[in-house]
Amino acid sequence: MGEQSGKFLLCSHYILIFAWAQNAWDMLSDEQSQKHITTGSGDLNDILGGGIHCKEVTEIGGVPGVGKTQLGIQLAINVQIPVEYGGLGGKAVYIDTEGSFMVERVYQIAEGCIRDILEHFPHSHEKSSSGQKQLQPEHFLADIYYFRICSYTEQIAVINYLEKFLGEHKDVRIVVIDSVTFHFRQDFEDLALRTRVLSGLSLKLMKIAKTYNLAVVLLNQVTTKFTEGSFQLTLALGDSWSHSCTNRLILYWNGNERYAHLDKSPSLPVASAPYAVTGKGIRDALHTNLREVDATEQATTVFLYLNVWHILHSQIEKQLQGGQLPIGMDNS
Amino acid sequence: MAAAGGGGGGGGGATTSGCGLKRRYAPHDQEEETMNQDQSSKEDWCGRLWNGMDLLKDVTENKHVLPTGLEGIDTLLGGGLRQGQLTEVTGPSSSGKTQVCLHSASHAAVKHMGVVMYLDTSNSFSPSRIATIIDGTNDLSDQRRFDLPHKERLKTMMRSIVCKSVFDIFGMFEVLHQLEVSLLNDKVKSGGRKICLLIVDSISSLLAPIIGGKYPQGRSMMISVAMILKKLAYKHNLSILVTNHMVSAGNGAVKPALGESWKAVPHVRLVISREHGSNICTATVLKHTLLVFPLAI
Repeated sequence: MGEQSGKFLLCSHYILIFAWAQNAWDMLSDEQSQKHITTGSGDLNDILGGGIHCKEVTEIGGVPGVGKTQLGIQLAINVQIPVEYGGLGGKAVYIDTEGSFMVERVYQIAEGCIRDILEHFPHSHEKSSSGQKQLQPEHFLADIYYFRICSYTEQIAVINYLEKFLGEHKDVRIVVIDSVTFHFRQDFEDLALRTRVLSGLSLKLMKIAKTYNLAVVLLNQVTTKFTEGSFQLTLALGDSWSHSCTNRLILYWNGNERYAHLDKSPSLPVASAPYAVTGKGIRDALHTNLREVDATEQATTVFLYLNVWHILHSQIEKQLQGGQLPIGMDNS
Repeated sequence: MAAAGGGGGGGGGATTSGCGLKRRYAPHDQEEETMNQDQSSKEDWCGRLWNGMDLLKDVTENKHVLPTGLEGIDTLLGGGLRQGQLTEVTGPSSSGKTQVCLHSASHAAVKHMGVVMYLDTSNSFSPSRIATIIDGTNDLSDQRRFDLPHKERLKTMMRSIVCKSVFDIFGMFEVLHQLEVSLLNDKVKSGGRKICLLIVDSISSLLAPIIGGKYPQGRSMMISVAMILKKLAYKHNLSILVTNHMVSAGNGAVKPALGESWKAVPHVRLVISREHGSNICTATVLKHTLLVFPLAI
């Protein structure tokens, strides 16, 4: 009885004070019922905890040619997989800044996705003829809302407009921006202004992801930076952009294979996984060479592609002394 | 004190006119009024008068330390997050700042210290991670809850962590104002658990869009937020933990964001960094009000 009255007091306490916030227990059950957007590759899904999460902003960075746009297109298709086949059954918004959205390739990927669904679920399409009608590549293409922007002002305008657009189209479950850095890399003399504008954009995207319960995927380019006497590859837009995403995935080459490295996540450990870009889209890598990638070799390759701040912690150590203790943070 | 009910502008003192309206005080009469009034309203104006022994008694009895659950950080902090103080954790991207916040929240929930309020700006609050951390801690020492099944225990603990997403500085002001109002109202009530820890992850992403440039409004908003947070910490005995990120300082070096004005705001500042590809993080103290660390800046 004491326990009951204690709980009642707790509830009324919440109603009075925290009616406008959610407690962690309720959020846990919400989170566990969330579906993730599959990337097409099982290994990649595993390191991402099932796929791309909704309500979060994921940044995907990499050198040109490693498959960022392919992954973006694959996600825009995979979000449309109907609910009965394990997908989200939602629509996609694709914001293209560079013009790398090739419609023929999208059609090819849509066909590949449908073929895989029918392979996986051979009997279910016989049950409902309406289900089969939806599984046409044309329908997949029709459910992608495409914006082509040609300057940074258009990019800011689209993101401002997105809130109104999403209020009218409530079935959108993913927004892909390819690539978010392109128009901000040139024509911006005032770097402080650029930082302010980009921070504002990232907050708006976070808000959109949370309010409309969708995934925001930002594709980012890699640039070279001159530090410590040599050129290093880092993600574009500088240190100020680094905190503007919930998760970060870095795509890189390891010999002839493509790898993805999960660099930042609030709940998942740091990990890498191989993937492949096939005619059908992003799929699991075929281990044709059966070569176990050496962990140190992998780490060395990733080292070249990570941001400056990972490399420069030693500089911080040189400047600040005293009171330094290593702390163990077990992510398991 | 009745004065002639003359024109509104020149009249001094409070007076009620025929229709029951109170005239406003003229400024130069205000001090006279306050000096003639009781002790209690002087406290309303300039706060309570302490002497050294009162303060010491308050610190030893009321100002507890909230451990974060991470040994190294707790050692650097001198036990944990101190009540009434603002602690800042800064560091480069993915160095573990959010993990420090999640650990602190979980630890406060496990030890039943009170309600934890988590203000999240980057959708990084992960309930599953909180559940994992709580499961990992050894809470057999809490004998009261020993008989409840595991799920019930987890539920009680997690229900004391409250999370709210804020995406702009005005939303932040709103939330802090609502919190202040509800805490003031709560003072007259008894029962229920009070909030003991406020976490803002991260305050720098809310301030980044407005700081810099030729207009000073951004910086004044930053100072306003700082003042409100410190007032909340002092008046309601909260520990406040905020995170900050790093910006480049020229020549490839990095420094904490938010600039020189922010440096004086937190009572304790920690920098953490992570070796790439490993799970070991290193923490360094930038500033601490109680403990002494030799710094070579």
